Amino acid sequence: MEQMLIDSAERILRDGCDKALLDSAEAGEFPQALASLLIDNGFDQLGAPDSGTSGDDAYGVLRVAGRFALPVPLAEWQLARVLGVSGYVSVGRMSADGSSAFGVPWAQQCERVIGVSDDGRARLFTVAQCRIEPEAHLAGESRASVAGDSEPIDAPADVFGRMALSRVALSVGALEHVLELAITYVTEREQFGRTLSKFQSLQHYLAIMAADVAAAARATDAAIVSLETERFPLDVAAAKSRVGEATNRVAELAHQVHGAMGFTHEHQLHHFTRRLWAWRDEFGDEVFWQQRLGRHIAAAGPDEVWPFLATGG
Amino acid sequence: MMQYDRAELPAHHDEIRREVRAFLKQSFPPERRANSDFTSGHNPAFSEQLGNKGWIGMTWPARYGGGEKTFFERYVVTEELLAAGAPVSAHWIADRQSGPLLLRYGSQAQRERYLPDITAGKSYFSIGMSEPGSGSDLASVRTSAVRGDGGWVINGTKLWSTDAHRNHFMIALVRTRPVSDNRHAGLSQFVIDLRRDNVAVRPILNMGGQEDFNEVVFEDTFVPDDRMIGEEGNGWEQVTSELSYERSGPERFLSAFRVYVELIRAVGTEPSDAQAATIGRLAAHFLTLRRMSISVAGMLESGGNPVVEAALVKELGNNFEKELPDIARAALAGGARPAAFEAAYQDTMLGSPAFTLRGGTREILRGVIARGLGLR
Ligand SMILES: Cc1cc2nc3c(=O)[nH]c(=O)nc-3n(C[C@H](O)[C@H](O)[C@H](O)COP(=O)(O)OP(=O)(O)OC[C@H]3O[C@@H](n4cnc5c(N)ncnc54)[C@H](O)[C@@H]3O)c2cc1C
Repeated sequence: MEQMLIDSAERILRDGCDKALLDSAEAGEFPQALASLLIDNGFDQLGAPDSGTSGDDAYGVLRVAGRFALPVPLAEWQLARVLGVSGYVSVGRMSADGSSAFGVPWAQQCERVIGVSDDGRARLFTVAQCRIEPEAHLAGESRASVAGDSEPIDAPADVFGRMALSRVALSVGALEHVLELAITYVTEREQFGRTLSKFQSLQHYLAIMAADVAAAARATDAAIVSLETERFPLDVAAAKSRVGEATNRVAELAHQVHGAMGFTHEHQLHHFTRRLWAWRDEFGDEVFWQQRLGRHIAAAGPDEVWPFLATGG
Repeated sequence: MMQYDRAELPAHHDEIRREVRAFLKQSFPPERRANSDFTSGHNPAFSEQLGNKGWIGMTWPARYGGGEKTFFERYVVTEELLAAGAPVSAHWIADRQSGPLLLRYGSQAQRERYLPDITAGKSYFSIGMSEPGSGSDLASVRTSAVRGDGGWVINGTKLWSTDAHRNHFMIALVRTRPVSDNRHAGLSQFVIDLRRDNVAVRPILNMGGQEDFNEVVFEDTFVPDDRMIGEEGNGWEQVTSELSYERSGPERFLSAFRVYVELIRAVGTEPSDAQAATIGRLAAHFLTLRRMSISVAGMLESGGNPVVEAALVKELGNNFEKELPDIARAALAGGARPAAFEAAYQDTMLGSPAFTLRGGTREILRGVIARGLGLR
């Protein structure tokens, strides 16, 4: 992973992805200036063939994006470039019959939409020729259903897993940020004449959160490392499962330690927790992936599970 | 923030892994594999076989019978043994912490006296830290050693000393000077010869009906000078130095592994949706915990002292292994449970309350992590 890319993404997002931008994006306004800046700097190309960058770079930058709750379909562009599709493109999960894609970010701002199905097929929809039903996910960010004619496009078999991994990478960044917010809050806020950080029950909450965040990050790294190997589908499954579990606990505890302040719209916490809740459902929820992993293990039988866990079978 | 790098076990270790698996296949048949808890089987004959194989003291210098191998190679061997449910408890503590402690702080004579027997799988150690009045608050130990003629006279009681009734030695943490403002000062460690020194070892039946842990009473027990490990008064630093080794190994998340294996056997090759999800969810935890634990092994290998990272692996791992039997039980709810599942389930369930107590309680570990986060 190129540290320079990570640093430069961080710089751009620190300047350009603030609370005001998140508020307006959640009110439906596409963050055009920031989107253009990311494209101008080539962040959409990360991981694409001939880009000189790797999948590791792409997901590393998505993790940074998660730290800022980036409301731009960067993950979708990155996948599109991997598939050789240029321009303003979005990606959604495709229905089994291939007639529609749902959960598509910013479909109305895009010319084309790639639908990916959980069995690894991909089709290209032209937005102008489709019916669009605008919706929003839990964080109020544009998600639409897109239905109409489409044509098949070549995609690697792991295309659905790659999109799942994008949600996992975004989530790890958001989890890290939520943990930092919580640490800052309890070390600053005082009650009963001392900072909240002195109360053991809150120390323990934060320890639990830190453990979950570390586990989520480690599971995600493992899936990134196994990109383009046979193990990838199973390591993505493990990551989606583990990150989903971390999300549930960390978001709950983060709100608990922030008190009423964290329940306000003015506070930034909800931009992250609402996205975490949305991302855990996108491109297969935890249970979907757990079943995939579980069926694989059960099919191989009890004597193969240890070899699978230890050395990949 | 805690960082776990992408360390993986080097691929060339697959060879030793194959060797361990082959050995286990012939020396320890599958039908006996009910329990992956590292304290579940005290079997000197088996430990000696491992010693002959060179699988005890693997990272230690050759002059003491050690293998001069890496922590990663030791990791491979220990995780294979646990996953198979092998009876490893006789030598486990000596291999994991008593030997390394002696290597680091012991005198040359002590190393020569104790280590070769450990690596041969013939000499077993117990931990003498807890007392009736000192559990989590270890620095409050009251067992005392007072200088006598040519040695020390020890008085007090150690408690919960696992396997003290069948091991050879105990390393006891005792007070050699009265309590001062610095409560960590004035503590020292001694090797106690459980079979020859004048100590009373009384097994305490645990809730599962087994005699595993003990009360060890010292009444004017004399030990010669050469039993003191390291410097007088340095005991606190010494007991805490090994915590990263003690807390981050595969034994901190594999204790319930045999229940998982039997669950997979019980559901068969076509599990229900809910059963498949359970198996997958648990696998995600095993995979992640193992990777975190290996990351810590890597930090140890390169000379770091990842105290907080290790505490975090134990925190996650112990909670997980404690929950596992119940999750497995729910996955089989409503039907008859196969005998093999039942055996693993019962054995593990009865041991599970200890998972989040031994080696530092969950609450104490959370305190260690909170300190790492800068909260205390
Ligand atoms: C199976 C088993 C084997 C063991 N083997 C050994 C051995 O070989 N050698 C040895 O020396 N010891 C051994 N122990 C003892 C073990 O180290 C202690 O049980 C442990 O340190 C806790 O001490 P305690 O049991 O006295 O509980 P206590 O310290 O009395 O704690 C009781 C409860 O209070 C909580 N608590 C205590 N202090 C705090 C605090 N400051 N903040 C929040 N919560 C707190 C604890 O987390 C726990 O939940 C063994 C224990 C078990 C269960």
